[in-house]
Amino acid sequence: MKEKRNLLIGGGIVGAIAVALVMLGNPKNMGFCIACFIRDIAGGVGMHGAAIVQYVRPEVIGLVCGAFIVALIKKDFAPRGGSSPLTRFILGFGVMVGALIFLGCPLRMALRIAGGDLNAVVGLAGFIVGILVGIFFLKKGFSLGRAYKQNQLEGVAMTGINVALLVILVAFPSLLLFSESGPGSMRADMWIALLAGLVVGAIAQRTRLCMVGGLRDVVLFKDWTLVCGFIAIIVICAIGNIATGNFHLGFTQGLNEAGEVIAQPVAHTQHLWNFLGMTVVGLGSVLLGGCPLRQLILAGEGNSDSAIAVLGMFVGAAFCHNFKLASSGAGTTPNGRIACIVMLVVMLGIAAYNTKKSKA
Amino acid sequence: MQTYIATFFSHFGAIRFGKQLKEMGLSGKLMPVPRRVSSSCGTCVKFQAESDTAIHSDDLEQLFLVNGEELTMLRSNI
Repeated sequence: MKEKRNLLIGGGIVGAIAVALVMLGNPKNMGFCIACFIRDIAGGVGMHGAAIVQYVRPEVIGLVCGAFIVALIKKDFAPRGGSSPLTRFILGFGVMVGALIFLGCPLRMALRIAGGDLNAVVGLAGFIVGILVGIFFLKKGFSLGRAYKQNQLEGVAMTGINVALLVILVAFPSLLLFSESGPGSMRADMWIALLAGLVVGAIAQRTRLCMVGGLRDVVLFKDWTLVCGFIAIIVICAIGNIATGNFHLGFTQGLNEAGEVIAQPVAHTQHLWNFLGMTVVGLGSVLLGGCPLRQLILAGEGNSDSAIAVLGMFVGAAFCHNFKLASSGAGTTPNGRIACIVMLVVMLGIAAYNTKKSKA
Repeated sequence: MQTYIATFFSHFGAIRFGKQLKEMGLSGKLMPVPRRVSSSCGTCVKFQAESDTAIHSDDLEQLFLVNGEELTMLRSNI
């Protein structure tokens, strides 16, 4: 009961912070988006040339550091790793491809639903299908192998990378790229964003908040504890969006005075690809053992396997923009649609190969 | 009878252990690892047995004795 209560409170706070970040300058329905923000960071350090999505997002730095600090205080910090790192890199890469086809990680999917964006409900359906396919393999014996204890340096390395990014952002911003237009140019004050990340990172570490884990536990064990966080985020964020005039129910926001369709914020209406993009994200996340947010938190706790998955997402994001895989408000791209199918096949291959043939 | 919680390196390890318990005439319940046990979010098996001496699994990560709200770690393979 206590766990459920903490998740409801924690999820509610995350939902409220997401609303606040939008009010303070972040793109709409994007108070938080792990996929978009890692993509922005990849752009900010010049890994890709999409000028509208370049900014070293302090939220991500805060998430990792917040999880690290709390884990250290609460004695949860435990350097672990060695469970199929390169496979996890590929899965992280694939999760990013799926997320940028849909235009959001599972957390942003929840925030988009809370903004009334019905395209995200289509995404949720695909996400659930991806999770069910992942669970099928889990039940059949899927495992990426056990993790082993690592030394302290290995455990602290991801936090170190993020601190280094923060130092560059604060002290040497001229080294970085900053979008002048588009989503990358829409940002809350740097220090507020960092603080928001720290708080959400701490909450997520304490509660184990995870978009994938919640749905997985419901299906596997009929356990509704973890999914409470997911539901609380949607409810509180929806209330906040209604209160601030940012709630628009529909696949689009209707027509403007000139009769043109107003799209939902950073979203497209290609249902099949919204669905399949999130199927890839759901499947990949179950195989990784957690959604992109959870990977960041685990990386902060010292899990270098999750850190590798995050690096896979980072490189994946750069590929998505360099090879025109990422969608935009105008819709998906031919390259993106091919990549989505390829990643789905790759993930199914990884899942099948790592599923034990021996019977239990 | 004592109550135990066993955590595993993989979800499949937990499934396999659950079946192993059944063969031993014991019943176990698969469930998410409680937060107070670990900050990781894998699958554990909660079961009752006279003692833990017959409990073996290659996938066993940690074994806890449950006494009300209190947990005592009996084994750790980390």
